[in-house]
Amino acid sequence: MKLIIGGAYQGKLDYALSHYGFTRNDVHFCAEDETALVTDKPVLYGFERWVLALVRSGRDVRVEVEAVLPRLSDKVVIATDISAGVVPIDPVIRAWREDSGRATVRLAGVADEVVRLFVGLPTKLK
Amino acid sequence: MRIFISGGCKNGKSTLARRLAVAQRALSGELYYIATMVPTGDDDLRRIARHRAERAGDGFTTLEQPRDVSSLIDTCDSGASFLLDSLTALLQNEMFRDGEIHCDAHVRVIAELTRLLDAAENIVVVSDFIYADAGIYDAATERYRECLALVDRAAAERCDAVLEVCYSGIIVHKGELDL
Repeated sequence: MKLIIGGAYQGKLDYALSHYGFTRNDVHFCAEDETALVTDKPVLYGFERWVLALVRSGRDVRVEVEAVLPRLSDKVVIATDISAGVVPIDPVIRAWREDSGRATVRLAGVADEVVRLFVGLPTKLK
Repeated sequence: MRIFISGGCKNGKSTLARRLAVAQRALSGELYYIATMVPTGDDDLRRIARHRAERAGDGFTTLEQPRDVSSLIDTCDSGASFLLDSLTALLQNEMFRDGEIHCDAHVRVIAELTRLLDAAENIVVVSDFIYADAGIYDAATERYRECLALVDRAAAERCDAVLEVCYSGIIVHKGELDL
């Protein structure tokens, strides 16, 4: 798995497409209400949105992530970093922020490559 | 050198930016601080007063330029050392002017900034990293975040060095410079 992380609008998708030679047709865009992770395309965008869908539906994010890991082994996964702000008042968003952090750390642990984007510039973390 | 600096708030961006701008000043050259903030309350006035006091001893000449930064090319020596603080305020002034929301304000800011960066060889520009929180914002705020990221990326592309300040630590994403 290749994991691409970074803040919002930092060029994560642009980097994934140009660096690995994909087009937008190769990307599945996760939705905030889609609890079943769709893995029929080589690039998965918005991993954190899938986590939000799980949190909203009351699923155990840790269990769900473990279950999908085998299917992500040959994917490029793009996750937005949502970890660096103040603690949100809304308990659902608060849980999302924490679960998203733990889930992304888990992905980074098994990924063979982790790249962080900052104002369009990639830094290889792993 | 053209230097882009971003990072979280109160991490030491402005302090680093001042130091680099002073270091880039030629022996007999000018040192300009391009002030962009239009104060909207007591918080802002206090921040401006603090920044003014902090840079008073460094020899900066302050230029109040909340919009149209490229006009400075006509009035300043392009060989001077410039510090533009910040892109965040520049976009805010352009996007939320005349009581309306201008959703394509970044286009104008990028055009102005590009002209300035093309003309000024020694310039430090400062922005704010507001892209890694779990906030869910109203449409105008979200658009503002997106536009600022586009301004940041256009600036970073044109700059020789791109630095991220993280709790006074400095990550060099592009370029080589003595810190």
